[in-house]
Amino acid sequence: MNLLATFNTLRARIVLGEFALVAGLVVIAVIGIGALRTVRNTVTRELSSLTAISAQSDRLVTSLFEHVRAAEQYMTDGSMEARNAFTSGGDAAHVYQHRLQALPELSESDRVVVIRVGVLHAEAEVLYSFAHAQQDLGRRGDAQTGARLARERASEMLRLVSLLSTSRSVGAEATATSLEQAATDREMLVWTVLAASVLIAVAIGVATLQSVERPLTRLAAAARRFGDGDLRPIALGGMPTELAKLGEAMDRLGGSLRTLVTEVVEESERMASAAEDLSAISEQLAATAGDVSTAMEQVSSGAQRQVAGLGESRSAAETLHAATEDAGHVSGRVADLGAEIHRLAETYGSDIEAAGNTLVELGNLVQQTAKQVEELDELSEPIYEFIDLIKQISSQTNLLALNAAIEAARAGERGVGFSVVAEEVRQLADTSAQAAERVSGTIKTIRDHVSAMAETMAAGRSQARGVGKVSQGAAEALRQIVTTVREIETESRRVSGQAAENLTAVENISRALKSASEAAQSHASSSEEVAAAAQEQGASTEEMASQAAVLNRAAEHLRSLVKAFRA
Amino acid sequence: MADSHRGSHVRRLAAAGSRILLASAGLSLGACGSSDDPILIGLAGPFSQPRAESMQLAAQLAVSEINEQGGVRGRPLQLVIQDDSGMAAAAVQVARVLYANRDVVAVVGHMNSGATLAAARVYNGGSNSLVAISPSASSPDLSSAGPYTFRVCPTDSAHGVQLAQWARAQIGANRVAILYENDAYGRGLRTTFKDSFTQQGGQIVSDDPVSAILPSFEPYLTRTRSRGGADAILFAGARAGAEEMIRTFGVIRYSTIVLGGDGIAGIETADVDAEGVYVSLAYLYDQPGALNQAFTTAYRRTYGGQVPDHRGAGAYDAIRLLARAIESVGANRARIRDYLAAVGDEEEPFDGVTGRIVFDDNGDVVDRTVVVGVVRDKRLESTIR
Repeated sequence: MNLLATFNTLRARIVLGEFALVAGLVVIAVIGIGALRTVRNTVTRELSSLTAISAQSDRLVTSLFEHVRAAEQYMTDGSMEARNAFTSGGDAAHVYQHRLQALPELSESDRVVVIRVGVLHAEAEVLYSFAHAQQDLGRRGDAQTGARLARERASEMLRLVSLLSTSRSVGAEATATSLEQAATDREMLVWTVLAASVLIAVAIGVATLQSVERPLTRLAAAARRFGDGDLRPIALGGMPTELAKLGEAMDRLGGSLRTLVTEVVEESERMASAAEDLSAISEQLAATAGDVSTAMEQVSSGAQRQVAGLGESRSAAETLHAATEDAGHVSGRVADLGAEIHRLAETYGSDIEAAGNTLVELGNLVQQTAKQVEELDELSEPIYEFIDLIKQISSQTNLLALNAAIEAARAGERGVGFSVVAEEVRQLADTSAQAAERVSGTIKTIRDHVSAMAETMAAGRSQARGVGKVSQGAAEALRQIVTTVREIETESRRVSGQAAENLTAVENISRALKSASEAAQSHASSSEEVAAAAQEQGASTEEMASQAAVLNRAAEHLRSLVKAFRA
Repeated sequence: MADSHRGSHVRRLAAAGSRILLASAGLSLGACGSSDDPILIGLAGPFSQPRAESMQLAAQLAVSEINEQGGVRGRPLQLVIQDDSGMAAAAVQVARVLYANRDVVAVVGHMNSGATLAAARVYNGGSNSLVAISPSASSPDLSSAGPYTFRVCPTDSAHGVQLAQWARAQIGANRVAILYENDAYGRGLRTTFKDSFTQQGGQIVSDDPVSAILPSFEPYLTRTRSRGGADAILFAGARAGAEEMIRTFGVIRYSTIVLGGDGIAGIETADVDAEGVYVSLAYLYDQPGALNQAFTTAYRRTYGGQVPDHRGAGAYDAIRLLARAIESVGANRARIRDYLAAVGDEEEPFDGVTGRIVFDDNGDVVDRTVVVGVVRDKRLESTIR
């Protein structure tokens, strides 16, 4: 478990993976280098030993053959040369045998062979030497017996030496085989270690990736949950130390957020209620300020009206002043005009009287004409009576004709002629009636003309009477005008003097009005200031109220936002 | 008869030594690692054979002397004795046992060249190489056996040269016949003698190989006699061959001065007439020197009047040299080896009963001459008094 805990960090896992790879590579390199070195060393050693052994073996074989040859030659001829060759060949063979036996490169089995060769050589040498001594003493039989024993050992010795060569080649073959086997083994080992390293590294890598991905997924889900407002604690579970730290940090963050959100919720509730309170107070204040403002506006308008009134008074006074000043001038001019009027009235009075007379004459003429018309009208009356008579006769005639027709119809064929007469009579009656009617219309038209003329005459006559009256009235008016003008003249003179006196009084009044106006304006402006201040206060209060409303809305918003969190 | 009697006596003594060693080893078990634990030194040789008797006894004498004087760095020395039968294969097995015992800080051994060479591959190998000081392996091949291989004896070539000079100078020999055993030792001694002797104007009248497969040496000796004889005859080989040769002398009624290398040492006690046989040796018990006097005196006293041979003297010197090295650098294999390599160089030369020891780069003793002894009254004595 401790070991697992030690490797429960990404760093340790990555390091472990890399270490496994590197270790594998190092092992491979070591094995490879070792194999190469082994092969090289083995080859070098084998070659040098083969060389050394071959050289010594060759010399040994050569000297052994020389030794045996000299021994056999001495057996044949007993010459000193052969004897010396035997001795020196033996010595050389001993030296080479000794060197070969001491070669460290020699295998133990070969060394046994070499030792055995040395022993056989020594024995053969002794036996040959002994046979030579027998030979020298002329004991040929013993010499041949000894030589035969020597030859047995010599042939065995030479056989072993040749065996040594065979053994060398076998040894070289075995070495080559073992080298090949070693190389194959190393190669297999290298591949195995390589595969194992890769597998271990891959396994560690996959495990590391999984140990990163799974916790990351969990943490990401938790982060999304936080984002959605779900601040409940994170279930960490098993994960690498780094991610566990991250998870713990996120959890701590969630805890802090939870605490914070709780506090914010409480604070926003408090703020909302405070904002509501503030809003209510602001509204009250605004209402109060409105009242004050209205009152002050009323005060202000009153003052302004006063100012206006005073202004009007002042302007009236000024107008009065001006009028008073003008009155003087006007009355003067009135008097002058009166005089002019008087003069004109005098001038046109007679003309008017003449015109009046003319008009009275005209009236009389019209009266005469009217009488003639009335007489004409009275003359048309008998015509109307005649016509009515004709009409009556035609109507009766028509009626008679109709009766006659009926009687004729009763009389039948005999009455046919009569019916024709009856019909003629009746047509005649109708024509008479129609003629009467036309005459009646004409007479009526004449009468209408006469009536119209009569009325015109009557109108002319009244007009003429009206003109007369007007003329008379005009004359009278002229006279009255003259009288009035004279009175105006007099009055104007009086007014003109009065006006001069009035002017001084008016100026005094004007000055008094002006100071009063200024005082009133000052009063009005103060009122306006108060009103403006009240208005400003009202505006501020309204502003405050609106801000409180904003605040209230913000608090509400905040509350709604915070409500989304699930602490 | 005397030889077999002596052999049983040696075995008895060796067995007693082993019991003592086993007892002390048993006592020390369970206290391993503390400062009182003994320092282990391997002792490897063919201790089942009489020729290694003196080597074991002298080594045990040296250890007991050192331990009586307080040990090394306050710790006693203790021998781990292993028998290699003088055979290469057994020597390798023994060497592996000693090598694997990490408490063994050095080895004294092996006795003969074949076993020492075989074991040297083990001691020089691995990562915890182990010093082996041979008291008596004289093969020239040992020079290149490895940095952990040392010896306190001269090489075979020293014997050949010394014998040739001695034959020319002391005997005045002009004509010398050679019988050599056709093995590394015999051929080596024969070659160095032959080269040295001919260089000094001598003549090799015959030069014949022998071995156990021959029925007798008679034809060689008869031919030498028939060709005018020789002033001396060198037998380059082991003691048995020399005894055979001397017996053949009696058969063919011919005799001459017999010379031999250290391979024939012990011939003085053989049941052949070895009187007057000259033997070259790395050491002779009666050679001059105060150290040697003290050693032989103690040896005689401890082992019932016996005298040590060159193997015993070499083992004695090797043990004491190792003690000095451990005293100086501690019980550590590599540091002991470095100390030994520096002896006579950065470190003081070691004066032992066999003479002054200074190692060269091959682990051989520099300027080590041999002595030539002569058999008198069945004793091998120094020719120079």
